Amino acid sequence: MKQNPDHFKFVFNSRQEDIPAVLERCQNYINQNAGENPVDISLLSKVKWVITELLTNAVKHSGADECLLKMDVRNAQLVIEKEDNGTPLSLHDSDNEKQIAWPIQADQTIEDFQIYHNGMDSLRVSIDNYNLATFYTEELPESQMPALLLDTSEHFGLLIITKASDEFIYEYNNESGMSKFRVTFNLNA
Amino acid sequence: MILQTTEIGSTIQATILPQEANLQHAEMFKEEMITIIANGAKLVIVSFENVTYIDSSFLGSLVVALKYAMPRNVDIYLVSLKPDVKNLLTLIRMDKVFKIFKDYKQAMETINS
Repeated sequence: MKQNPDHFKFVFNSRQEDIPAVLERCQNYINQNAGENPVDISLLSKVKWVITELLTNAVKHSGADECLLKMDVRNAQLVIEKEDNGTPLSLHDSDNEKQIAWPIQADQTIEDFQIYHNGMDSLRVSIDNYNLATFYTEELPESQMPALLLDTSEHFGLLIITKASDEFIYEYNNESGMSKFRVTFNLNA
Repeated sequence: MILQTTEIGSTIQATILPQEANLQHAEMFKEEMITIIANGAKLVIVSFENVTYIDSSFLGSLVVALKYAMPRNVDIYLVSLKPDVKNLLTLIRMDKVFKIFKDYKQAMETINS
């Protein structure tokens, strides 16, 4: 893909019915900036899953009337960001059975915890400097019956984004109250 | 209505009608699946032939339906998944808890054999 100085920016009004149209615009942006090397179709699928889940998250959880969706190609990476000033992220720490909500207070000592596992993948988050959270997965020894059926929850969306992408980060800005999700795809992988 | 159903004995063939299996349709899908199971079906074969994309909300409803079905000894099979949809199910390991077949015919052959 070639470097595009004009970042893709789109205000999404938190309406579920608008998601297909946003997806189409995102796909057009990627294709138009693909240059001579068309983007791999499996990568396009992953990008579509990620954008769908980011926007569905905005509809279901942020409580904000709108969010800003941005896409950019830089240094052989496709970066997708979703920003809003709605309800900050809240995650269940399944290691300690407690809820972790942003902003994280300075006196809380939280570094790394498991959010969810399906018996085969453990979805975890690592926290740096209180307000930067990096999601990642660890493969667990395969079980006969995945624990998928124990928890039908809201974690499928986070799991999809984490597994489909190369990096998935949440950042909370204490001063502005802005939440930002950033998803990165390596284009040369 | 999210599902178009055909009854063959105690088997229900249920075709998802919307192209977008998403948050907008997830709750209704779950309710219709639970109604089918509560009405005595022993096997529900869900066809994704019309579905071009699926999101986590709809996948959650699918798992809720399976959780409702299992203690009642009801099976749920999935058929006619487009590659993109099947790849997403595989990504989050749902292929490990659902039996997936090419189409209604192949699924029906397994119960007739």
